[in-house]
Formats: sequence, structure tokens, C-alpha cells
Amino acid sequence: MSSMTKRSIPSDKLVALGACMTRVANDRDKSAFAELFDHYAPQIRAYSLAREPGSDLVADELVQEVMTRVWLKASSYNSSLANLNTWIFTLARNCRIDYLRRNSRYATEIDPTDMFNEMADEGPDPFQLAQQSRAEESIREGLKQLPREQSEILTKVYLEGKSHQQASDELKLPLGTVKSRVRLALKKLEVLVVR
Amino acid sequence: MSKSITHPFEELLAAYSAGSLPLSQALCISAHLEHCESCAQKLARLNRVGSELMQQLKPASASDELKNRLLDSLDSLTADDLPEQRPLSTDSSIPRCLHQFIDRGYDDLPWKRVSSDIQSVELCRDSNGAKVELLKIKPGGSATTHTHLGDEYTVILEGSFSDEAGVYREGDFMVRGTEDQHTPVATQDRECICLAVTEGPVQFTGLFSRMLNPLIRRNYA
Repeated sequence: MSSMTKRSIPSDKLVALGACMTRVANDRDKSAFAELFDHYAPQIRAYSLAREPGSDLVADELVQEVMTRVWLKASSYNSSLANLNTWIFTLARNCRIDYLRRNSRYATEIDPTDMFNEMADEGPDPFQLAQQSRAEESIREGLKQLPREQSEILTKVYLEGKSHQQASDELKLPLGTVKSRVRLALKKLEVLVVR
Repeated sequence: MSKSITHPFEELLAAYSAGSLPLSQALCISAHLEHCESCAQKLARLNRVGSELMQQLKPASASDELKNRLLDSLDSLTADDLPEQRPLSTDSSIPRCLHQFIDRGYDDLPWKRVSSDIQSVELCRDSNGAKVELLKIKPGGSATTHTHLGDEYTVILEGSFSDEAGVYREGDFMVRGTEDQHTPVATQDRECICLAVTEGPVQFTGLFSRMLNPLIRRNYA
């Protein structure tokens, strides 16, 4: 967990970034886009490097893919439905899945385009939305308090993109233990309580 | 008799959210999510976990060269530069994620006979060798008692069936492991169509059908 810091984004930063999104969507404003780049490109690169340490070219390519989608999909982004940070995460995840599929040694015909929603929160009813900022705060606080062995598993799965089996091999833990640690971590974060 | 579970386990949903699930399994989750509001809500929260974890990484600064290259490219970008996602459809029981394999409807697919009660059609293989197929069980029909060499993921797309553990309906998701023996039976009123992903060949355990095993295993070579 040495790469983790206690840094968290103040919500007024998120509001400012949201305003940039609006300017990109409505006015095709490149300086607003540059602000989004300055904030998100280093995050996206870090996300890519977590899976493939040292692969700066891959990281740059992921930034290019994600930010291209941000530019082209800005008008379909709906801030009342999806938190901007979460939207960027889902775009980065989707682009990474796409990249890995295109560059895999083992080909598959399965096209992931229609499998993962581009809009992070497509669906939930408006009543849920009021709960969201609170949920986000509690997830952030919860992550800080997780036992190391649980946050380590979440890092492997979410950031390094490891399957449960790969995590089990790397950590020399039984598969069942890996799964139960993920489950315990999610329980602590109260992610799965549907309100 | 174990209680039937018709939703993906939390850790499976989390792996889907993280993008670390094999695509064949992700197909099943995706098909289930279209039917299940509570899992869709859980997924939205799991995506937030991913987002928070990404924000806690130490930022890796991007070069001006990358930034300028991207800014210069903006004017020439068009919607054609993106893979277009199909809209969610409400007038079809075919999940969005399966439209890539199914042009018109289930009836037009090249179904093959497996037994007097079952037909199947293979849609594709995953990079890990897992087989993605549709199974069609005739009304009241039984899928021979079978176990698996690997896990089997199933989502009901049309109709319903029951087995020793309970009744399963449209949208229900289940995983059967190597140790589970089960005998799904479709309900009498209509045929049942399922999406099935098997990581290894199915083992038939009936007295007669056990003889089929070497033949079936050969398909996975």
C-alpha cells in the first residue's frame, strides 16, 4: 500500500471540474478540457501503471483513449446521474478492458462494448441520488480504516486488474480466502447495503 | 437442500466492476444486471469504490507533449472514433450484451440437438477457453443430471426452470461448481432459454449418458 496516500479531493474541486465538463459540452471549450486533462491524466496514468509498472507508452495510450471519450461524450455526461470521478473511472476501466482484449495473446471474439455501461449510474431512481454524496464520503473514510490485508486485495482487484485466481497465486492464499477478504472489505465499506 | 441463490456473489460483482473478470463471466453479469435493479445499485456503489481507489493512487504526471498532442487532435475527432454502445432495449428479452451474437431472434440461431429435451448453440469462446452458449430446454424438459469439471455460470433469458435447490426465473443468475450435481427441469408452460458459460466440459452422470463424456470432452481439446 506504499503507493496510497491520504489525499482526497475536496468537493469544491469536484464542482470546479464539473463546471469544466459543462463548458466542454456546451462550448467545446479547449481550455476547460485542458483543466480536466491536468487533473485526470496523472490519475489515469497512475491507474495504468498500477497494472503495468514501467509501461509509460501504455499509460499514455490509456490517457489518450479516455480523454478522447471525455471530449466526444461530454454532452451525454449527466452530472445528476453520475459523479464525475466515477464516470472517469468507468471510462478508464472500459478502455483498459478494450486495450487488453486487443493486445491479448489469447484472442476472444467477445466484444466488451455493450457489456459495461458508459454512464456509471444508468438506471438508479432519483431518490437514490440524494444518498450518493454521503455514500461517497463513507466509502472514502471506510477505505482509510480497512485492515491492510483487505485493502491489499481491493488494490489487486481494482487497480492491478487481477482475477481472484491471480491474486490468490500472488499472495499465496487459498482462493476462498481471497474471496472472503473481498467480501469482508465490502461489508466494512457498507457498499452493499441497498437503502 | 441448499437455498437457491439467484444473484451474483458480492466478490463476483466487484470483479466485474473492477474489470478483472473474464469476459465470458462478465457477459453473464451484464445480462443479469439488465433484470436486477438491486444488483445495478450495488454496482454503482462498487464503481465508486474503484473511483476512490484510483484517486488515492499517487498521481503520475503526464508530459506536455501528450497534452499538446491530444489538444491538437480534438478538432479532427468525430463520433466514428468511438465504439458505439447500443441503447438498452425494453422490447426484447435479448440482453444488450448478447446482440453482438444474435442478429434477429433466438429462433434464427443454428440450434443443435443435445438430447430429446435440449438444444444448444455455441456463441463463442473466451480467451481462457470457456465456452459461451445458449441452451434451450423444451417445456417440462429435463437437462440430464450433470456436474462440471469447471464452474458453470447460468442466466435465464426466457422462461423458467427448477432444480433440487429451487425455482429460477427470467434474469436469475447462478453459479454451479464442480461438486454440484443438479437436474434442472423447465416449467411445463413454455420452453426455457439460458445463457450458459462453462469453464470446462460438462460431465454427464446418468448411467447411459456417462458414455457421452469422452465425446463431449473431445470438444474442449
